[in-house]
Amino acid sequence: MARELRPGQRKYSPGSIAADAVLVGWFIFSLFPLVWMVLLSLKSRSEQISTYFAFTPTLENFGTVLSDEGTRLTSVNFTEALLTSVINCVGAVIVSLVIGIPAAYAAGRWKYRGSNDVMFTILSFRFAPELMVIVPLFIIYNQLGIFDTNVGMIWVLQLVTMPLIVWILRSYFQDMPAELEQAALLDGYSRKRAFLMVALPLVRPGIAASALLAFIFAWNNYVFPLILTGSRHTPVTVAVTRFLGGGGQAYYNLTAAAALIAALPPLLVALSIQRYLVRGLSFGAVKS
Amino acid sequence: MTVTATETGTAQRLRLSSLRKTYTARGREPFEAVKGIDLDIEPGELVALLGPSGCGKTTTLRMIAGLETVTAGEIKIGDRSVGDLPPGKRGVGVGFESYALYPPLTVRENLAYGLKARRAKDVAQRVDAIAERLEMTELLGLRPANLSSGQKQRVALARALVRNPPVLLLDEPLSHLDAAQRQRVRRELKVLQREFGYTTIVVTHDQQEALSLADRMAVMDAGLIQQFGTPDEVFDRPANRFVADFVGEPAIALVDGRTEAGAVRIGDAGALPVPDGIANGKDVVVGLRPQDCHLTESGATESGAGLRATVRVFENLLEFGLATLDLPGVDVPLVVQVDVTVRDRRLPERGDTVTVAAAPDRVHLFDPTSGERL
Repeated sequence: MARELRPGQRKYSPGSIAADAVLVGWFIFSLFPLVWMVLLSLKSRSEQISTYFAFTPTLENFGTVLSDEGTRLTSVNFTEALLTSVINCVGAVIVSLVIGIPAAYAAGRWKYRGSNDVMFTILSFRFAPELMVIVPLFIIYNQLGIFDTNVGMIWVLQLVTMPLIVWILRSYFQDMPAELEQAALLDGYSRKRAFLMVALPLVRPGIAASALLAFIFAWNNYVFPLILTGSRHTPVTVAVTRFLGGGGQAYYNLTAAAALIAALPPLLVALSIQRYLVRGLSFGAVKS
Repeated sequence: MTVTATETGTAQRLRLSSLRKTYTARGREPFEAVKGIDLDIEPGELVALLGPSGCGKTTTLRMIAGLETVTAGEIKIGDRSVGDLPPGKRGVGVGFESYALYPPLTVRENLAYGLKARRAKDVAQRVDAIAERLEMTELLGLRPANLSSGQKQRVALARALVRNPPVLLLDEPLSHLDAAQRQRVRRELKVLQREFGYTTIVVTHDQQEALSLADRMAVMDAGLIQQFGTPDEVFDRPANRFVADFVGEPAIALVDGRTEAGAVRIGDAGALPVPDGIANGKDVVVGLRPQDCHLTESGATESGAGLRATVRVFENLLEFGLATLDLPGVDVPLVVQVDVTVRDRRLPERGDTVTVAAAPDRVHLFDPTSGERL
């Protein structure tokens, strides 16, 4: 009675159609803000508050955001803000990798006194609310003279990037058989060389996946730069909100355009390595 | 070519003295994995470390390789005490149970990897030579993912051999192979070991493997060597109850008995003759191997001794038969191996009454409390 299905063909039942309908509904619902933002970014200033879908689209807003006009409106140069974000996030990821890879290796390979406590502490940086530490950090940053600097941002972003990298890579190192390194030791390699030549190349997919994920999280961070930067080293997340205006004028169309530009780098990063990312993350998470 | 003293390839004596390994974890009882092992292995000898899982055999192997620290005791290869040397300086080759082949590299690169660490100059020739000897030249260009487990095993062995180590350690070398491959690789391994002449330790839980490969075997249990001897010695004169029970297939029957003049009485089944010098009137555990007992048609044997038994079940395995017998007054069944190759001989059937006999030197007596051989 069951009809044979060709490859790629699905069998439809009332249940599956209903499920698909719900999913499509949810898809539209969750994407709507994004659609609205795209529409808004294409509207002129006079139409920005209208709720009609019919309007005269313009790309002018994107030009304004990136031009001196945008800088005049917000007192922040958006192009520079993009560059600041890139410097901060790449810098933060590099620092986290340099410190995090050996940490993850140690945590994945050996049980030592307090190893679980150390790992939990690192994880707690991730789930502790940022607002909890922001006031003391503000005071400390002012006293150290690193308020509104790239160094200061790279430092504080470690709270975002380090736990991700350490936790993801630890499971990679755990999944890698210790015998591989032990065989290298027996071959006469030093422990350091066994780590560099055997262990490290095998976790390269994990390093790529965790680094890119950390980059995206760091890029999206808002609260730390909001409080810990001024006008010289403002990253995009903060710069976008400047278009909402502190005083009377709110430029919703410019804000939308700026937000779209700000979303592009992580989007491109995620798309270009999408398959790699999913495989990389699941490899570490699921025991093969 | 630069050859260090440890890499000359001449087999060397391996001695373990009072070797111990204790794991201490905070908040837990210290765990003694190895409780003082003495082994003296002749140059070129193949010794099997046989024991159930958790008996400390792999820990012992890893201590010799330098992958596990030594709590106490000494490891000597030739005249050198190697206990404090890093793994790479000990002159041991290890074949890991998991093969430990490096996935991104081809077989050739895997084999060359260890030689490169020592900056050997004739890497390519040595790899070719070992590949040719192990008949795996066609595998050299492949990556580990494309190999069958038999092939992986072969590559892992080649990897351990290519460095020409004076001592070769193999951890469960055949465990991932299917039955047919296992027999073939087992024979190959023995031939190769003879040919290369390495002092070799094979860790295994499979007694067949140990019996077929080893010049001598060390039976381990609970972190101690229970018996060290040739397979014949271990089989014919088990040092204690554990060894008797662990070695031998089908398993030995261990039944309670009581000694009397020149014999041991078992339940209400009768008595079997025992060697001279056994004290009278002593409770003992009697070990009877299926291979050492024989059945006679009901009635007394020539010596007048024998056990009366009833056949519970008979299995004809074509090469031999196994009769499982019930002895009156004994709750453990006795298994006896029966020759089935003689034609026209009547085979035992369920319910038959038979008499079991065994030569005195094949009746193993153990102390019921200590388990030691009497």
